[in-house]
Amino acid sequence: MVDNIGHAYTKPNENDLEFFESVVGRANVSANPAIMQSYLSKSVMGLESTTPDIVVKPKYTEEIRKILVHCSARKIAVSPISAGLSGGFACPLIKPAGVLLDMQRMNRIVEVDEDNRYVVIEPGVTAGEIWSFFQKYHPDWAPPIADGAPPAATIMGDAIERGFSLITSSVGPQGENVQGLEVVVPRGDIIRTGTWALNGAKPFYRWGLGPEIFSCFMGSQGTMGVVTKAAIKIFPHPHAKTIVAWAMDNPYDMQDLTLEVSKKEFGISHNCVMVQGGNWPLVQTRFPKEKVPHGYEFWEQQGIPQWWMNFEVWAQSEEEMEHVVSEIDRIAGEYKDGGKAKSPDSIKKWELHPAQIAARLKKPNKIAIAYSLWEAGFLFITWYTPWKDCAEFSVMYNKVLEKYGFPPVMWIASIERARQAICMPIICFDSSRPEQLDAVQAVNRETTEMFLPRGWINYRPDPYIHAPMTYAMAGTYYKYLKMVKEMFDPNYIMHPGRLCLP
Amino acid sequence: MSAKRLEEYKRDLYRCIHCKACKFSYSDDPSRKGPGEYKGILYEGMLKSCPSGINYEWEGYWNAGRVWIARGLLEGTLKPSEAVRDAIYPCNTCGNCSVQCENWIDTVGIIEAVRATLIDAGIPLQDKHALVKQFTVDNNNPYGKPAEARMDWAKNDEDLAPMLDKEDVTTAYFTGCTASYNQTSIATATTKILKKLGYDFAIRTDEVCCGSPFFRVGEVDFAKGLMNKNLENFGGYETVIYSCAGCYRTMQVDYKKHTKKDLPFKGVHAMEIVAQAITDGKITIKSHPDLQGKTFTYHDPCHIGRHIFLERKKALLETSKNMFLDSRNVKKIKAEWFSIPRTILNAIAEANDAKFVEFYRNQEESFCCGAGGGVRSQYPDFSLKTASLRLDEAEAVGAEIVTTECPFCWRNLTDANDKFKHGLKVMGILEMLDQLDLIEYT
Repeated sequence: MVDNIGHAYTKPNENDLEFFESVVGRANVSANPAIMQSYLSKSVMGLESTTPDIVVKPKYTEEIRKILVHCSARKIAVSPISAGLSGGFACPLIKPAGVLLDMQRMNRIVEVDEDNRYVVIEPGVTAGEIWSFFQKYHPDWAPPIADGAPPAATIMGDAIERGFSLITSSVGPQGENVQGLEVVVPRGDIIRTGTWALNGAKPFYRWGLGPEIFSCFMGSQGTMGVVTKAAIKIFPHPHAKTIVAWAMDNPYDMQDLTLEVSKKEFGISHNCVMVQGGNWPLVQTRFPKEKVPHGYEFWEQQGIPQWWMNFEVWAQSEEEMEHVVSEIDRIAGEYKDGGKAKSPDSIKKWELHPAQIAARLKKPNKIAIAYSLWEAGFLFITWYTPWKDCAEFSVMYNKVLEKYGFPPVMWIASIERARQAICMPIICFDSSRPEQLDAVQAVNRETTEMFLPRGWINYRPDPYIHAPMTYAMAGTYYKYLKMVKEMFDPNYIMHPGRLCLP
Repeated sequence: MSAKRLEEYKRDLYRCIHCKACKFSYSDDPSRKGPGEYKGILYEGMLKSCPSGINYEWEGYWNAGRVWIARGLLEGTLKPSEAVRDAIYPCNTCGNCSVQCENWIDTVGIIEAVRATLIDAGIPLQDKHALVKQFTVDNNNPYGKPAEARMDWAKNDEDLAPMLDKEDVTTAYFTGCTASYNQTSIATATTKILKKLGYDFAIRTDEVCCGSPFFRVGEVDFAKGLMNKNLENFGGYETVIYSCAGCYRTMQVDYKKHTKKDLPFKGVHAMEIVAQAITDGKITIKSHPDLQGKTFTYHDPCHIGRHIFLERKKALLETSKNMFLDSRNVKKIKAEWFSIPRTILNAIAEANDAKFVEFYRNQEESFCCGAGGGVRSQYPDFSLKTASLRLDEAEAVGAEIVTTECPFCWRNLTDANDKFKHGLKVMGILEMLDQLDLIEYT
């Protein structure tokens, strides 16, 4: 069995199955073909997926250690998934398949520390469950859930794949909230990072005992080891919350108006926990293609702007919230009238109905998953750009989408007070038609070829287009990445093929 | 292997992104308040609500995994086998997964189509399902009781006997197998209430099983044979009244689906008639010592609750020319349908100084009783464990009495109540109205 880089792996056999059963119990190992099929997914963030040979469901860190040591010795590929989600399986299993570690049994909320302000969780803790838990038992604190990923997504997956959290626009990506990780590596070691690496220490500080190795696991797509615990910051959950939205007819004003607000740090933009917007097809494509009007005229009549930006404001009091809202409005007004706007007459406050505000404040939510209804399937191909490039990104990407016959759906969110943009084109297509899959890949290839030279990077590089092209342009980085991989995983068993590793 | 039955669901299958919202109730209401923690389950926010996923825990036993199994069969990458059967059949076809799906996937239709595909491929029915089929082949009912005894419950009642095969009426009552043979009090209660409300109707002695068990387990061709008999015998009526949730669902939904045309008659559930009579002031509800001061709840049966809601929602989608505008009517559809039993129950509560409390998971978010989809017969332990979980939830909301209006829900909840010693009382609404003499006819 060979991965996409050409390394050979062993297909697990009956003896391996028995070994796994001896570790986790017979009920938690399966090679049933129907069960294997049930782990497939070809959507959302990856079109390529293969069925595993065996699925193992561990519950304890020590079980994982035994499994990895065994698989490393046998050169059996191993891929972990927590829920595997970012709207749908985010890092689906690819060739050479092997063992899938389904981490759902490791689902404890281990510790909540309100003074040091972190929660320790296991991989299987979902956003929905931790939200209910916090609402009940720690109502003054917000758990670090993803915004946009559905409720069945996990905190762990979102954190270690540097997704965005419900407060990303204020504090940075979810990765910034990680205080410490516990990772099992195929060498058989259990590594803790940050201050957690010191026996008996709390995970209170990410930068721990020396050069910090936690970054090696962040964004690694399961290629370095299995993360079995994460300590992630929690933040106060105030009750004064609202959404302010501003509308415009082009992405450049969306970008620049938002930047003006975001630069007002320590008081305004720190209160804006989620700043996200996009264009009107974001609304249109949540419905079946043949069941909604296609021209903008109808949507305009419904009050949907061509482009908009939402500012979700959290504040300690109603007075503070009103102050922040009025400042956002003032800054937006100054931008509109200040002579720099591209289309000042189009810029106006979008007065949201209370139900619209409530829907946008709801966390976790399902706003990112309805796009399959347009046809039959969708893909997020997500990029990071400097904030000041997100408008250009939108224009360029939408042009390519329209070239291939896809609707130009664009969702943009601010990271860390518009230091970065997470740009999320949503490709809505009919995944039952092979020619559409080809067209999607063509979009992906063409945009990757255009965007990497501009210094824009893919959020979660796929193994066939993004990763090879990216690393071709970052040779030294890739050389050291491979060495890091070898340090943890000398036999290259962890999710082989992802990130072009080995 | 022909996957022609799955071709119909191709678009649904390709819409699945494996987001797993379908595991839960209230996947869209994560901040929902509830009664709190009870017996280790936190009844707040989202709650895992797929009975087979909860029980078996493997991905292939949750809906999202099953959809990808179905897709594998359609694409030919997965061959029909007993392994597939074993993953697919422990599903109640409750439809909660479909309610949660933002991409409107017809999960119940898919599961039934997978089962039919397996049968087409020669994968044998499991033993209990095969036995039920043989009973019906022999006697037109899944209980194996004599066909000629089907209407004994009416024949032996001097009030009801004249209704048997009555001519020159435009309305018929469809009894259903369970009420005909095993829970005859449902049939008696319903027909007596209808008579007192002034309905003139026929009870057909040539009624056969509606086919529900067979549509659910994939014996579609056999079910259609039963369907055709019933359509022939009841097709001349303007209205057919039901008391069985399963028969109502099957005849009003499955018959239309498999004939690809509207039914020749209008279908009405007896609860609709009673609720309307209360609203119109034709009846009032009286008190009874057994209900005085009690706290009771209502278990929404999947077949007469969620499935009908989903069917009406789907009809909206099919006929809509502008889903952005028409999707706003979904709440209205929900409110109209689910208010029917609640009109009756609120009247009972008021008359008895009793308290009607909702299950935490109610209406379209209701948690299945565990009986449906062929599960009760073939997987009794799993079925009763599920019912017991539902009764735990009744306890969590403080109920002493669990009402419902489905003979299967009643049976399964009652059996679990006894087996796991919940100490609750389980009652069917129509029987309750009749046996406790709660109706004052004005």
